[in-house]
Amino acid sequence: MKRIVPIILLLLLAFFLLSAIKINFGQPKTGLSQYYLNHGVADTGALNIVTAIYLDYRAYDTLGEATVFFAAALGVFMLLRKPGEGEKD
Amino acid sequence: MKRTSEIVSIFTRKLFPFMLLYGCYLISHGHLSPGGGFQGGVIFGSAIILLGLVEGIKEAENRFQEKALSLIKNIGMLVFLLMGFMSMFFGRAFLSDFMPRGEIGTVPSAGLIFFLNLTIGFMVGTGIAVVFYRLIKFGSEE
Repeated sequence: MKRIVPIILLLLLAFFLLSAIKINFGQPKTGLSQYYLNHGVADTGALNIVTAIYLDYRAYDTLGEATVFFAAALGVFMLLRKPGEGEKD
Repeated sequence: MKRTSEIVSIFTRKLFPFMLLYGCYLISHGHLSPGGGFQGGVIFGSAIILLGLVEGIKEAENRFQEKALSLIKNIGMLVFLLMGFMSMFFGRAFLSDFMPRGEIGTVPSAGLIFFLNLTIGFMVGTGIAVVFYRLIKFGSEE
């Protein structure tokens, strides 16, 4: 049983790698990127397509990104303080 | 006691406002040209960091206090969330555009994207500067 699980995992990995090789570069299977290029300016009004994606289509992801940054800054605040600072109560 | 060379000091003081200006330009034109909130904010923050490295942390804090920068960072996060809820208030999906748009190619052409860029830019810039302040202060304790 212990031998079987890694073998199955390796076979799955090989299957996914082989199927990924078949996709030609620059010809994605989904039509989403072409939709962004065709309708991006009309939908969002932003000429920079990167901004159109990360602040309009994917704005929710950007909120998570900002949250990660905020948490990192708060972590630095939490760790790097003088002994006794901010512990008044 | 002055430890930095005169050349570096003078050059930094001359360069500093232009770095801030360039950061603001990248933030405000994020939807028209390469760049955007994160990149412009990092340039904004690195101007403050350069000042802190060259002139010393005391001099940098005379102009940009850590508490004020920290406040801007915290308020930025809040404003980002509030803008998302404002879209819902106007009957759109969370964080989607609800503002009137100008002509394409001008600054007010993208509606909410401009304001989101502004928020992210100032948040990232002040956040990076505050992290730098903290690291320097922690390292220079006697």
